[in-house]
Amino acid sequence: MKAKKAINGFFFSFMLVALINCSQKEEKQQTNWKEASWEKIEASSENTEVNFMMWQGSPVMNNYINNYVIPALKEKYKIDLKISSGQGPEIVQLLMNEKQAASDQGQIDMVWINGETFFQLRKIEGLYGPFVQQLPNAEYIDFDDPFISIDFQQNINNMEAPWGISQFAFVYDSAKVANPPKNLTALTAFVKANPGTFTISNDFSGMTLLKAFLAELGGSPNSLDGSFDQQKYDTLSNQLWQWINENKQYFWKEGSTFPKEHSRMDQMFASGELLLSYGFAEGGIEEKVIQGLFPKTTRGYAWKNGTVLNSNYLGITYNAKNIAGALTVINFLLSPEAQLKKADPGGANANTVLDMDKLPEEWQKKFQTITTRQYGPSLDELRTHAIKEPAPEYMLKLYEDFRTHVIEK
Amino acid sequence: MVKSWKPFFVTILIVLVLFPFIYLLLLSMSSGWAFPQIIPSNFGFDNWKAITQSEVGLFTALMNSILIALTVASIATFGGFILSRIVAYHKQKNSLILISYFPYILSPVVFGACLSFFFMKVNLFGNMGGVIIAQLIISLPYALIFFGSFWNEKNRNIENLVATLGGNKIVSFVKVLLPLAKGLLLVCFFQTFLISWFEYGLTAIIGLGKVQTLTIKVFLYIKEANFFYGALSSCLLIMPPVILLYLNKRFVFNRMS
Amino acid sequence: MKISEPMLLKNRGNIGILLFFGVIIMPFAIAFLYALLYSFGLVGILNDGFTIAYWLTVLSAPQLGYSFLYSALIAAVSVIFSVGLSLFTVLYLKKALNKPFINFMLYMPLAIPGIVSAFFTYQLFARTGFFSRLSYQLGIITEAASFPDLINDQFAFGIILTFISLLAPFFILFYLNLYKNENLEALERVAISLGANPKLATLKVSLPILLKKSQTVVLLYFIFLLGAYEVPLILGQESPQMLSVLILQELRQFDLNKIPEGYTMAVIYTSVVSLITFFIFRSQKNKVIHG
Repeated sequence: MKAKKAINGFFFSFMLVALINCSQKEEKQQTNWKEASWEKIEASSENTEVNFMMWQGSPVMNNYINNYVIPALKEKYKIDLKISSGQGPEIVQLLMNEKQAASDQGQIDMVWINGETFFQLRKIEGLYGPFVQQLPNAEYIDFDDPFISIDFQQNINNMEAPWGISQFAFVYDSAKVANPPKNLTALTAFVKANPGTFTISNDFSGMTLLKAFLAELGGSPNSLDGSFDQQKYDTLSNQLWQWINENKQYFWKEGSTFPKEHSRMDQMFASGELLLSYGFAEGGIEEKVIQGLFPKTTRGYAWKNGTVLNSNYLGITYNAKNIAGALTVINFLLSPEAQLKKADPGGANANTVLDMDKLPEEWQKKFQTITTRQYGPSLDELRTHAIKEPAPEYMLKLYEDFRTHVIEK
Repeated sequence: MVKSWKPFFVTILIVLVLFPFIYLLLLSMSSGWAFPQIIPSNFGFDNWKAITQSEVGLFTALMNSILIALTVASIATFGGFILSRIVAYHKQKNSLILISYFPYILSPVVFGACLSFFFMKVNLFGNMGGVIIAQLIISLPYALIFFGSFWNEKNRNIENLVATLGGNKIVSFVKVLLPLAKGLLLVCFFQTFLISWFEYGLTAIIGLGKVQTLTIKVFLYIKEANFFYGALSSCLLIMPPVILLYLNKRFVFNRMS
Repeated sequence: MKISEPMLLKNRGNIGILLFFGVIIMPFAIAFLYALLYSFGLVGILNDGFTIAYWLTVLSAPQLGYSFLYSALIAAVSVIFSVGLSLFTVLYLKKALNKPFINFMLYMPLAIPGIVSAFFTYQLFARTGFFSRLSYQLGIITEAASFPDLINDQFAFGIILTFISLLAPFFILFYLNLYKNENLEALERVAISLGANPKLATLKVSLPILLKKSQTVVLLYFIFLLGAYEVPLILGQESPQMLSVLILQELRQFDLNKIPEGYTMAVIYTSVVSLITFFIFRSQKNKVIHG
């Protein structure tokens, strides 16, 4: 430990720029926001800047943030919300580096995360909290729903606020495919009959797909429940890699490579290059049909053994510069108004995390009228085939092993 | 006589050169261009109007890029000029120049990743100041190498002459050396301007994506498969160099060599 | 009168060199040292002290080796094609290239940065891109999937094409200038007047001189391409990957315990590139190159 410090100090003295900068270490008065009243929190977030790191791979979400959330926050709270692009590992690494640099002035105030990142951030103690119960709009959330309060088999313990909930769904064009596959046997037949039209994206969508496959190989929707089981993982994943390697010659590009970004898969589905796609937000079908990207005959469904239903969350970083601002922004994002806008089928088309029974009646009505989908399946339709997110280690291992056992083979 | 193929090759050359510019411009004015249409279904200036909408952030990105590139170019040109003089008069001149190539030749992203800890340490992470300093780390050596040939015997002798005639350092610098180097300084300024203007790796890592320049925007649009805005921001990125080219070809050539 | 160092500089020399080291060398040095310490587990919050485990893992796995080979091949092919293409253009079309309009056209591609070039290549050659649409409309293909695989493909077609589109314009201008500055036209004339045929004069006189004089620049570009990031990130496949893409991926992976392996790769990459650079300049000792 001492040696480490000495090394850090050695580097520090090397930085020329340090000389200019180290004098500005002002003593900032620490407000204990956990004890503060909500009025005080809102008042002190006025005219501040909040930095939000989020995954920017979804055009509709970006549009929702840029054209609704940012202007609304500016108008309501005079908060300047700044977005930077980053997800999972980037967030964890950033906070790790900041910890190492002992930076108490974090670059990022809030982050958009779920399970595996939550797990790692807790491991490095990168999150501020608990804070969720402080948010006035938390009263509309049903924390008894295990799909909300349990994130990848971990209790959220008020360290992250639910922001959205969605189920993973498969996507196909009913004009081109009559009977889409609903289990691995059917998928094997499907890829053989339609070579080159299926692939696995090397990102969280693809890994979530693999989890659905793992669960099926495990024999039941609950087969991956509970804490991480190395032996179970080894057995099931070996079967999975074997299945993929046996059949990848029928995948897109003969399985020689896999798309890095899910947004690219959407483009390929739109052009007919892929016949089978998938994704969170029940496949993300509605908004893409409305935009004209996907044909009107696009449909979505769940795997027979089930697909993952999970929530995504907002967290505050341990060294956030603007905790009050982050709290205000998160509370706004959970407001019925912001959630309703987010649910707009022509917009971000994301299910609300708010519990209809807890909402005032006027909002219930608004939600009911606006969120009916014309093309994509609704969450309620799919929910009978929902499986819980397995422990985060499954996801982390799948990332690693998909690379070593499939991509690099 | 054998028919000459030369006009044919020249025509191909011109088509190849102009094609990307025209294609990107047209793409930036399109939307709703689904496969297999060869012509987009919507065409017009709608995308371009987005520049003026603050939410899209393209105007901010443009301003950021301009501000960063101007600052980097000014400091790098001036600093590089002074440093190159120090190096030129040094006994170990060749070794020093060789070392100067190192930061310039490394992959900027890898370099940036290894440097980010220090930038964090001194609060130069995720802000414009940090991005400017990071870009200087590569553009200063460039400028230094660029001015290498200026300190030839002739210019050294002139400098010495001024000294023997009793002119002090400042006089020799302002009245003699700067005017002599004027042309080179200008070229170096635009070269380093472009290095900064086109920089992605260090900007993305040290700026943490919070300092949004045009290159960062182009990348974001590619990532979310928003090709029309991608083309639009590409056009913004290409425009200044084209203008510089029009003013003087020398401003743009030389880069990276 | 010939004084190698003006007197007025004498006292300032040391401060100047300090400045040089502070501004030019220090960032490079500390970045390298940091990566080195990280690779041995000496810094980083999840590390617990000195270990060579990360080095052993990296050196025993084929990943980095493949990536070096793959990157070197792509860079070499791109540089060779670019040089060949530009030499042909310059030597074959030199007269035409000096006309003002065409000459201006030659400079235009320099306005396009790598990231835009990669984006453009994707737009043209992807299975849903311009040429695929064109082939569809012309009835050559009936669906996007039958268009040849040119982006994210095994042979790095997209990457190489983009590199060539970035390098060739530069080399054309470079050789055109070299041709002028080295007065090769006059040399060729001498050869012709001595009885050589014009084509042979170009091949035997100008070509070798151009090649020799451009050696260092060509090698430097090879090193640049070795470390390219944006282009292979957009156009490359998932494995093998080019060096920068691989290193960044290792540095930003989910498994936090493997991050030092990324730094190990960074150390190896930096050392190799620096060594190559060193030897390039060693072999060209007294030549200070300057574009």
